[in-house]
Amino acid sequence: MNVETFVTDKAGLVKFYEAIIANNETYAPVEKFGKFDFKRVLTLAECDPDSPITKTMSAKPLFFPRSAKILKYSADASGTDVKETDEDPLTGKRVILGMKHCDARGLQVLDKVYNWDYIDSDYQKRRQNSVIISSRCDKAETHCFCTSLDYDVENLDAMDVLIVHGLDGKIFIKARTEKGETFLKANPIDPASGIQHSASEEGMKKQYDAFAASFRLKMDYKNVNGKLSKIFDTPEFENVSASCIGCNTCAFICPTCHCFKISDEKIKDTGIRYKSYDSCNNGYFTLMAGGHNPRPVKYRRWRQRAMHKFVYYKERFGENLCVGCGRCAISCPVNISIFEVVNQVATTV
Amino acid sequence: MDYTNQIREIATRLFTEDKIDVFVGYRMTGFDDNQVPALIRDPKEVSQLVFTDKSVFNLTNYLKNEHTRNKRVGLVVKGCDSRSLNLLLTESQVKRDKLYVIGIACEGVIDEAGNKMQNCMECVVPDAVVYDEMVGTPKGKQGYQVNADIHELASKELVERRAYFEEIFENCIRCNACRHSCPMCYCAKCCIDQETSTLYNGANTKSSAFHALMTWSLHLAGRCVDCRNCEKACPSHLPLHLLHKWNERVIFENFQEHLAGVQEGDRGAFYKYSMQDPNDFIM
Repeated sequence: MNVETFVTDKAGLVKFYEAIIANNETYAPVEKFGKFDFKRVLTLAECDPDSPITKTMSAKPLFFPRSAKILKYSADASGTDVKETDEDPLTGKRVILGMKHCDARGLQVLDKVYNWDYIDSDYQKRRQNSVIISSRCDKAETHCFCTSLDYDVENLDAMDVLIVHGLDGKIFIKARTEKGETFLKANPIDPASGIQHSASEEGMKKQYDAFAASFRLKMDYKNVNGKLSKIFDTPEFENVSASCIGCNTCAFICPTCHCFKISDEKIKDTGIRYKSYDSCNNGYFTLMAGGHNPRPVKYRRWRQRAMHKFVYYKERFGENLCVGCGRCAISCPVNISIFEVVNQVATTV
Repeated sequence: MDYTNQIREIATRLFTEDKIDVFVGYRMTGFDDNQVPALIRDPKEVSQLVFTDKSVFNLTNYLKNEHTRNKRVGLVVKGCDSRSLNLLLTESQVKRDKLYVIGIACEGVIDEAGNKMQNCMECVVPDAVVYDEMVGTPKGKQGYQVNADIHELASKELVERRAYFEEIFENCIRCNACRHSCPMCYCAKCCIDQETSTLYNGANTKSSAFHALMTWSLHLAGRCVDCRNCEKACPSHLPLHLLHKWNERVIFENFQEHLAGVQEGDRGAFYKYSMQDPNDFIM
């Protein structure tokens, strides 16, 4: 694919964003209580497309909502009536601004599981109808390790349009997929706003090099994958998970965790059935109707989460179920970092 | 505030004298200046222990942990932590003779931005109220003050106040981290986990978040010790303390200046019933 690269400055980028928000159904990070979450926006002033990753929730809920209505039902003496929900948020095309590149990668990982034995049509619709405009981070934060994992951060095709803030103040805009190219054609870049074609991509390369050099954490994921798969029974898991309080935060904010539960909201004889997030850290997650629980203690649940991320998913789909965003470590109330723990287990055992 | 050396000395002594099986304290994360709770079973690992003004987490939360249950535990408690320990003792969740408590005369802990935590600035009981050994110089009890954001909330109209709380419920993602991080939440099966319940169905809807958080805060009314574990655990950064501080103020003003866990043997405001109890604050 031979795609043009556009170059502009801060003012040009603002105009580009404003035009997108004015002409499309746009979702972007909106701040509330000091944390950014993706919400529908009508003006650029409401949101911050360059919100810091440390304070931004992942964009996963736009594709896999925290709670989605599956069906509604009503029952009376004549029988039960089950209907599809009347709410369908997926009809229109939409644009997602300010998604981090690790979140975009998270969607690539999720695509595999949602296209596996059962095709999740709602997820597919949301994916197909979304254009992802993502800017590459300027520098790595304390817990970031995306460059250490099994994907090419520099040439990631998960986002449709990539925005790079060059070191010299130049801002590059480039379509990475056909969808992105079509989008840029449909939302023509106004030459009056100071956006020009650029022949050179050197600025992008330089920005990437500086970004890649700013990482504190480096994981040898092949070593981790290989080691973990052999040490299922090590008591070390009990030690490393001892301070975990089993609070689920890590799973709920993870851009790749995808376990869910089904529950009903009932009012008399009518109700709505929801599909909502769940987590393998929950004690009742594997509890069976007869009372047996194959993961009755915390370290087994903890091990399951680590193994699913770095072993099971890898074996089945060839990719790690981790994108290295570090959100779990940032949000952990007791400051446990999955990177440190997995590395520790892989190196000490 | 740095009691690292004292804590290490005490822990070493306890292990040498074979008084404990596990020591619950803090250690550095190893990659930044934050700390992780440490459950130390091997005396060789005592050198990992630290205690500074970054020792934020309320460790009594670990007393319901499978690593500490039915074991002899050495435990570090700050003022607020010791209040929850007091309540756990009266509620028969831990046995006093299984515990060796190191009380800290706390000077206040700091948050991630390096500022003193708000609850420490208005702390009533900086020194541990239950302990076997005290570290630091006790300051004594401080006067209770209603904090500024509760005053602000109280000055609002009921409709406005409701709208503000609804904003909190709307941003809740129902991960239940607040409950898991709360030392006073120890029910084997929490009411908000009941899958068949119509109110707390686990769905991330505003009504379900409302019911879950309101039930939780009312269950903790008169038992919350304002350690802010919940608020630090919340991935949405919701100001959960408002729910609890609101209750705390009402209870303080109506129940003979009751503050949870300050007195030894405290049973919590709602554990005893008297015909003279006021009821005009209800609704």
